[in-house]
Amino acid sequence: MRAKVGANEALALARPAANGHDTPERSADPASPARRAGLWHWLRSHRRQATLIAFVVPALTYVILFFAYPLIYGFTMSVEKIGFIAQSGPYIGLHNYKVEINDPVTREALTNTAIFLVTSLFFQFTIGLGIASYFSRRFFLSGFLRSLIIIPWLFPPIASGTIFAIMFAGQGGIIDETLQSLHLISSPIFWFDSSFKAMFVIIFVNIWIGIPFNAVLLYSGLQDIPTEMWEASALDGASAWQRFRYITVPLLRPVSLIVIMLGIIYTVKTFDLVIVLTNGGPDNGSQLMSTWAYTLAFQNFQTSQGAAVANMLFLFCMIVAFFYIRATRREVVLA
Amino acid sequence: MNGRRRLSLFWKRRARRIVLPIGGLVITGLMLLPIYFTIESSLAPSSSFQALSQSLVPSHFVFSNYRLAFGQERGSIVTSLLIALGAVVLSVGIALPAAYGLTKLGYLKNRAIVSVAIIVLLVTQMVPGISLTLAFYKLFFHLHLLNSIPGLILADSTNGMPFAALVLRAYMGSIPAELSDAAYVDGASEWRTFRSVIAPIAVPGIVTAGLFVFLFAWGDFLYAYTLTAGGNVTPLTKGILTFFTNNTVNWGGVLATVVLAAIPSGLILSFGQRYVMGGLRAGALKG
Repeated sequence: MRAKVGANEALALARPAANGHDTPERSADPASPARRAGLWHWLRSHRRQATLIAFVVPALTYVILFFAYPLIYGFTMSVEKIGFIAQSGPYIGLHNYKVEINDPVTREALTNTAIFLVTSLFFQFTIGLGIASYFSRRFFLSGFLRSLIIIPWLFPPIASGTIFAIMFAGQGGIIDETLQSLHLISSPIFWFDSSFKAMFVIIFVNIWIGIPFNAVLLYSGLQDIPTEMWEASALDGASAWQRFRYITVPLLRPVSLIVIMLGIIYTVKTFDLVIVLTNGGPDNGSQLMSTWAYTLAFQNFQTSQGAAVANMLFLFCMIVAFFYIRATRREVVLA
Repeated sequence: MNGRRRLSLFWKRRARRIVLPIGGLVITGLMLLPIYFTIESSLAPSSSFQALSQSLVPSHFVFSNYRLAFGQERGSIVTSLLIALGAVVLSVGIALPAAYGLTKLGYLKNRAIVSVAIIVLLVTQMVPGISLTLAFYKLFFHLHLLNSIPGLILADSTNGMPFAALVLRAYMGSIPAELSDAAYVDGASEWRTFRSVIAPIAVPGIVTAGLFVFLFAWGDFLYAYTLTAGGNVTPLTKGILTFFTNNTVNWGGVLATVVLAAIPSGLILSFGQRYVMGGLRAGALKG
């Protein structure tokens, strides 16, 4: 270890150009005058690093105890045959995964999650982008109204879900009454008696919750595009559509990617909304992977199968995480 | 020709000045319609609930729904406050030194450590809670942490701690390195530099991180629902669900509880908006 760091130090001394591109504040490191005294500097900087790593240790401990350990435990649960309270059981390999993949409810939960994900994201993003571009023009009250639009995102999701559960109620619910008074429907619609309608309501509410997040981030992405670019292209005779297509779309791409990937993660984690709106029903018709894992483990007392479904969801999230890190790696590496 | 064009431009500007705010009001109004409905119904006499949709403003305001909601959910509100505040203390208490350590390690050119740490923090934010809570249940069962406020503080911090660390690190990265270097040259230890120089400057970042951790823990439902089964510790989110499912008649009372649950969000929006916007951008875009 010591020799290795020493060698690196020598390398750095031999090639001052290698450090040349560093920002001034980094080379303003107070240790740099001591650079000539190699060993002393190394000891000193090493001790500093050890101290600094000590600052990170509590966070590291928390991550190990509350992320790494539960995830490993969750994996061992999924390959064992265990009951509700027992901590472990006999090893049965990937049996639980096979059972779950062949379970029609799991398949339905998988399809529901996919539909939920794609439709939610599509409408959240397009409506969010529309709102962001509308408010990117300055006008009277624009700042104030823009700050109000974020409210649905700050609400506890269970609160939003409850509001809509009451609004969509088949009898006395404001949505049915409004539709009836507008003579769009003649008798109340019972929104929660078919899996299609139940899924429609869940997606509708989730879009409402997700619009502000998309709008705020896309708005800040639009603000980062210099206005001169639009003005110059307008002078050159580009139409509004051409300006959108050839300036806004490419320059908004990095932000959009991040917004969409974060949207995927938030959406796939959704749990509260389903519980309060439909509780997975009717007849498991609106189960998502998250609620199905919950139902298996906490209501059917099939802990191992629940863990298997939860781990499938986890795997999907990690695939998205991989692409997210790749898309933002420039910021991460230049940390 | 030129004059007419100028004239049309004048009218165009004038129309914009009127049309744009009206459109903005319509968009915002549509987005906030459900919230308006909630507040209105919570203030209306509950018996007239079904007639509400015909009138936009209730004929008279009553607070009976709030009395009912507060009477029913008082304990839950206190529980949720304790959990959320505990999560803020735990998450920020862990994340603040970590952010300091990572920022300084970055200055010392330990980019590999810093990058790995940031990637780990980003990944932890993407772990679905349901994948953790099964293990938490078993673990907490044996540690006697089920149905307890400390247990929920520990579990809720899984949402808050990584986010707080990322926001705080982004914030500390914007503090000039010369400041802590000067303290170092003057002979201050890392701990002292952290405590007396950097932490005081980082207060806006701490506020942002704290607000988000509070909102995450206050709004948490998954852990509240799974880790308190059958117990008497009931956070407000779980309280709303039980109130709603057990009470299909008095929706006014349920909606009043929803309004109570939304008060922290409203307060934060009124007084801490720039912190929220800053945190949203820092957490999502600056990694």
